[in-house]
Amino acid sequence: MRFVHTADWQLGMTRRYLGARPAREAGGPTGEAQARFAEARLDAVRALGRIADEADAAFVLVCGDVFESNLVGPEVVARACEALGSFRTPVLLLPGNHDPADASCLLRRPDFVRRRPPHVTVLDTPGVHAVAPGVEVVAAPWRSKHPLSDLVGEQLAALDPAPPGTLRVVAGHGELDVLDPDDDEPARIRRDGVLAALADGRVHYVALGDRHSAWADAADDRIRHAGTPEVTDFDEVDPGHVLVVDLDEHAARVRTETVGRWRFVRHYAALDTDADLDALDAWLAARADKERTAVRLVLRGTLSLRQRTRLDELLGGHGHAFASLEILEPHSDLATVPDDADLDALDLHGFAADAAAELFAAAGRASEGAGDVEARDALRLLHRLVGS
Amino acid sequence: MRLHRIRLRDFRGVHDREITLAEHGVTVLQGDNEVGKTSTLAALDLLFDAADSSRRAEIRHAQPAGVDAGPEVEAEVSTGPYRFVYRKRWLRRPSTELSVLEPARQQFTGAEAHARVTAMLDETMDRVLWRTLRVEQHTAVGQADLGGQDALTRALDRAASGPTGATGSTARPDPSVDDGLVARAADELRRYRTPSGRATGELRAAEVRRADAEAEHERCRAALEAVERDVAARDRLDAELAGVRARRRAHGDEVAELEDRWAALQSRLREVDAARGRAVLARERAEAARERREARDALVAAAEADAAAAETAAAAVAAHEAEHAAAHDERDARRGADTAARADAVAARRAADAAARAVTAARDRAELADLTERLRRVAEAQAGLDAAERVLADTTVDEDALAELEHLARDLLRAEAARDAAAARVELTAPAPLTVVVDGEEVPLGPGETRTLPVAGARALSVPGVLDVRVRPGLDEAGRDDAVRERARELADACEERGVADLEAARAALRAADDAARRVEEHRAALARELVGHDHAAALRAAHDAVRRRLDDAPAGQDDLAALHTAADEALAAAEEAANRAEEADAACRTAEDAVRKADTRAAVLAERAADARHAHTRRVEELRAARAEEPDAALATAEHERLTRAREAEREHEALAAALAGDDPDTVEARVVNARAVAERLAGEVARLEREHAETTGRLQAAGHQGWHDQLAAAEAELDAAVREHEAVTRRSSAARRLHESLTRHRDRVRRSYVAPFRAQVERLARIVFGPTLSLEIDEDLRITHRTLDGTTVAFGALSSGAQEQLGLCARLACAALVDPADGVPVVIDDALGHTDPERLARLGAVFTAATAAAGAAQVVVLTCTPERYHGIGAATVVPLAPSRRPRERGASDRAAPVHVADDVPAATPGTVLDLPRAPRAG
Repeated sequence: MRFVHTADWQLGMTRRYLGARPAREAGGPTGEAQARFAEARLDAVRALGRIADEADAAFVLVCGDVFESNLVGPEVVARACEALGSFRTPVLLLPGNHDPADASCLLRRPDFVRRRPPHVTVLDTPGVHAVAPGVEVVAAPWRSKHPLSDLVGEQLAALDPAPPGTLRVVAGHGELDVLDPDDDEPARIRRDGVLAALADGRVHYVALGDRHSAWADAADDRIRHAGTPEVTDFDEVDPGHVLVVDLDEHAARVRTETVGRWRFVRHYAALDTDADLDALDAWLAARADKERTAVRLVLRGTLSLRQRTRLDELLGGHGHAFASLEILEPHSDLATVPDDADLDALDLHGFAADAAAELFAAAGRASEGAGDVEARDALRLLHRLVGS
Repeated sequence: MRLHRIRLRDFRGVHDREITLAEHGVTVLQGDNEVGKTSTLAALDLLFDAADSSRRAEIRHAQPAGVDAGPEVEAEVSTGPYRFVYRKRWLRRPSTELSVLEPARQQFTGAEAHARVTAMLDETMDRVLWRTLRVEQHTAVGQADLGGQDALTRALDRAASGPTGATGSTARPDPSVDDGLVARAADELRRYRTPSGRATGELRAAEVRRADAEAEHERCRAALEAVERDVAARDRLDAELAGVRARRRAHGDEVAELEDRWAALQSRLREVDAARGRAVLARERAEAARERREARDALVAAAEADAAAAETAAAAVAAHEAEHAAAHDERDARRGADTAARADAVAARRAADAAARAVTAARDRAELADLTERLRRVAEAQAGLDAAERVLADTTVDEDALAELEHLARDLLRAEAARDAAAARVELTAPAPLTVVVDGEEVPLGPGETRTLPVAGARALSVPGVLDVRVRPGLDEAGRDDAVRERARELADACEERGVADLEAARAALRAADDAARRVEEHRAALARELVGHDHAAALRAAHDAVRRRLDDAPAGQDDLAALHTAADEALAAAEEAANRAEEADAACRTAEDAVRKADTRAAVLAERAADARHAHTRRVEELRAARAEEPDAALATAEHERLTRAREAEREHEALAAALAGDDPDTVEARVVNARAVAERLAGEVARLEREHAETTGRLQAAGHQGWHDQLAAAEAELDAAVREHEAVTRRSSAARRLHESLTRHRDRVRRSYVAPFRAQVERLARIVFGPTLSLEIDEDLRITHRTLDGTTVAFGALSSGAQEQLGLCARLACAALVDPADGVPVVIDDALGHTDPERLARLGAVFTAATAAAGAAQVVVLTCTPERYHGIGAATVVPLAPSRRPRERGASDRAAPVHVADDVPAATPGTVLDLPRAPRAG
C-alpha cells in the first residue's frame, strides 16, 4: 500500500519580512513577495498531488495544520480548494493545532464544505476510519488549541490489534516527548506508547505533523514527521519535502520527494575591513533564486563611517533582488566608529570643523550610549550634506 | 565690486545720461526730484538681474512714455580680477552685450553674456551684502542685517583670529561653504520638525503611520481574541447545555412523584373544608336560636317597663291638677283688680277734662270781648271810608282838567294882552283929582296920574258931568276883540263842561278831592289793622259768632284763668296716676293669664303622655301575647339548647378531620411541589438561555469565518512592524539632524560672538565722531546694535530717536564697508537718507564718511540726494550734479544701435562727470 505523508501546509501564512502594505488595505495577500510566497505554498500542494497521482498512491494524508488558522479568509480557502482539485488521489485532512476542530473549525466552515473536492475527507472525528479496503486510518484530530492529553496515545490505548490483512496508519499532530521534553505540556505524544503499538501490531505507521523539519525515529523509522512542503521559517532543517510511503505489515519504505522552492537563509558574517564587506557582497551576489530567497544577516564587527555607508549602499542594492534581506538586529553586534579618515574626508573649516570634531569625539567614545549613536548619525548626515 | 560708470538710455525719465563715479571714497549724486537718481540704482539692479527677454513690471515701467524705444543700461564694473562693460536693452530689439576688459579681453552676447556676468558676480561679490548696505529712498535708515553676510563674516573672522591665524582660519578653497552648511542642516531638520519643535513631514507621516498601524493591529487582535473567546464559549456552552439537560430530566421524575402526593392531599383538604362549612353553619343556627330567646326576654322586660311608665305619667297628671287650679284663681283675682283700676282711671280723666273745659271757656269769653270791640271799629272805619269815597266820586276836576283850564285862561290873557297892545290907547291924565267913568266904571284919577286905557272896543268915557267921550276902535281892533271874546267863551265852555263855575272853583274842587283821598287812605289803614288775621269783616264777624256760639254751651264760671289752670293741672296729674295704676293692674292680669295658659298646656302635655304610655303599654302587652301564642317561652329555651349541642358536635368533627390532615403535613408537600415546579421552570429557562447563547455564538463564529481575521491580523502585524521600523529610522534621522544643527549653530554662534568685538570697535570708532568720545555700543551675535551708552546713560536701540537710529545705522553700514576686504567690498549706496539728522550732526557725519572711506582700498560710497546741503560736510566727496536729461522731440525715430562704450574708447572720463551728450542721428 502506498500513500503520501505530508503535513503543515500552513495555507494562508504570511511573513512580515516579505513586505507589508498599509493596514487599511489589508484583507488579501500583502506585498509582492508575500503574494508569491502564498502562491508557492499552493504550488507545493499541487506538486505533491502530482507526485501522488504519478505514484498511484492510495491517498494523501495531511497530518494537521492544513491552514495557518481557522480564521483565514475565504480567498485562501477558495484557492486551497482549487489546488486540492488539481489532482485525483484521495486526500485526508487532519485538524491540527492551527486549525483544530473547535467551534470555528475551518474544515467544517460552509465555504470550505461547499468548495471541497469530493476526494477530500476531513478526519475531524477521532477514531478509526476505513479509507480503503484493508486500510484504516486512526485519526487523532485536535479538538481545541490546548488539548489536555496525549491525543495519539489515547487513540492507541483504545485499539485492539489490527485485523489480519488490514494496515493501520495513525494520523497525529504534535511533538514526540523525545523531541521536545517539556514536562508541562500535557499534549506531548508519548513515544513509548507509540513504539508499543507499532510493536504489537495495533498500528503499522505513525504519520505525524507539527514539526516543520522532516524527521524519522531512530528506533523505528515508521514514526515520522514529514515536515512542511514549503519552508516557513529560518530555523527549519531541510524543509520542502513530502514522504511517499510504501507500507506493509512489517516495514515502511519511504521515499522523500522535494516540492518546496523557497529558501529562508540565515547568514553570519564578521565585518571589520573592506575585505569583509567585499566577501559579504560576493556571498549575496552568489545566491541563486534570489526572488525566492529570504536572507537574515547576523553581523558582527566595527566599521568606520565610510564603511558603514558602503554597507548600507550594498544592502540597499542587493535588497531589491531578494524576497527579503534584513539584518537581524537582536543578534547582530555591528559598531560604527568614525576614524580620522572620515574627518579628513569632510574637509571642513572654521566653526563647522569645530562642530564636526565635537561630534567625532562623541561618536568615537567607547561607551555605547544612545547619544553616541545619535552623534554617529549626525556625522553621517554631515557627510551627506557636505557631499551635496 | 566697484562701479566706474553707468549709462542710461530711454530709461524712465532719462533720455541719455552717463555718470562716472569716483573709484574710492564718496560720490554724491545730487539733483532735483525726478531727475533720475533712484532710476540709476534701479537700472543697475535690472542690468544684473533681469534677462533682456524679461518683461517684468519694473522693466515695463522703465520704458519712457510715448517713445518707441526700449530702456537701455550700460555699466562699467570691476570686481575681483575682472573688469567689464555690460549693456542690456529690453522690450524693443532686446540685446545683451558684454566686453570683458581684464584680466583678458573677451566678448559675449545674449544669454551667454548674462550667464558670464552672473558667474563673475557670484564668484567675487557678496550680492546679499550689496543689497544690505543699501539705504533705499523713503525707508528709515534702521539696522542692517549684517549677521549673515559672508564677506563681513570673513572680514570679522580675520579680525577676530588676528594676524597670526588661529583656529579654523586656514585658507579655504570655498570659504562660503560653512554658512550654507548651517542652512542645509536647518533644511534637513525642517524635514522632520517645525521651528517650534513639532513633528512634521516625514516624521509626522511616520508617526501617523505607526499610530494607524497600531490601531489597526489592535483592532484585528481584538477581533481575533473575540473569536477565540467565542470558541471557548462554545465549548463551555456545549458542556453546560448537556449538564442542564441531564438535570432537567432527573428533576422531571421528582416533580411527578410530588405532584401525585399533592393531588391526594388536595381531596382530603376539600373534605376538611366541607366539615368546617358544616360546623360554621350549625354554629350560626345556634346563635340564631339564642338571639330569638333573648328577644323574647327583652319583650317581657319592655312590657313591664311600659306599665311603669304609664303609671308615672298618670301620677304626673294628678300632681299638676292643683297647680292648674291655683293659676286660675290667681288670674280671676287679677282681673277684678284690673277692672277697678280702670274705673278709677276713667273718673280721673273726666275730672281732668272738666277742668280743661273750664279753662277753654274762660279764654273764649275774653276773645269774644276783643272781637266785639274790633267789629265796632271796623264799622266806624267803613263809614268814614264810604263818605270820603263819595266826595271823590263827586269831584269832576282832576289835575289834567285843571291844567287845561289854566291853559285856556292863559290863552285868554294873552289874547287880551294882544288886543290891548294893538289897540289905541286913551291916556287919561287928570291935573286934578278927577273921577272918570270908563265904560261905566268909575276910575279915580289922582293929580298927575295918568291912566292909559286901551281901546279894544268901543269905550265910553265920561266925566260925569263934564263930558262923555265915546271911543270906537277901527276895524282891526274890532277883530282883536273878537278873539278875546272867543277865548273867553272857550274858557267858559270848559268850565261848564267840568261843572265848575270858573277857574277858581275848579281849583277848590281839586283841593277837596285831594283831602278826600287822604281820608280814604286813613280809613283803609284802620280797616286793615282791625282785620288782621281775617280776610274781611265778614270773616271777623263769623269768628265772633263762632266764639259766641261756643260760649252758649259753656257754663258760666269764674274767669280766673290762673286758678283754672292750676286746677286743670292737678286733675291731669291725678288722671295720669290713675292710668298708671290701671296699666300695672292690666300687666299683672296678663301675667296671670300667661300662667294660666302655661298651666293649661302642661296639663294637656301630661295628659297626652299619659295616654301615649298607656297605648304603648297596651301594644306591648298585645305583642307579647301574640308572640307567646305563636311560640311559648319554654319552646324557645328548648330550641336554643338543642341547636347549641348540635353546633358543638359539628365543630368537634371538623377539628378531628383537620387534625388528621395536619398530621400529613400538607404545607410541606405544597411547598415542595411549588419549589419543584419553579426549579423545572428555571431549568427550562436556563436551557433556553444556553441554547440562545449557543446559537448566537455559533452565528458569530460562522460570520467570523468569512472575515479572514487571521489574514487581516497578519497584514496588520506586517504593517505595524514596517511602520515601527520606519518610525524608528525617521526618528533617528530627525535626532541626527537636530544634533547636527544644534552643534553647527552652537559653534557658529560662538564664532560670531568673537566677531562682535572687531565690528563693535569699528562702529564705535565712526559713531564717536558723531556722538562724542563717551559713546559705547552693545552689539549682539547677529551684529545688531542693541544698546547705545552715552555719557553713562544706556538706551535700547529701538528707544533711540529716529535721528540717532539713522546715524547709528549709517555708521554700521560704513563700518561694514570699511571692514570688508577690498576684494569682497561692495559700494554702499545711500538714497537720500539722513532726513532726521540735525545740521550739527550732519557736519559730523561728513567726517564719518571721510573716516570710513579714508583707508586705501576702502569701499565706494554712493550718495543720492536732492538736498546736497546734507552732504556738504563730506570732505572727500566727489559731487556729481545731475540735470534733467530730456529727449529732443525731433529725434524720436533715430536708430540708437551704438556700440558698447569701452573704457578705452571713451576719452578719459574723469570721475564725477556727467556726459549728457546730444547724440547725432546715425544712418543705417
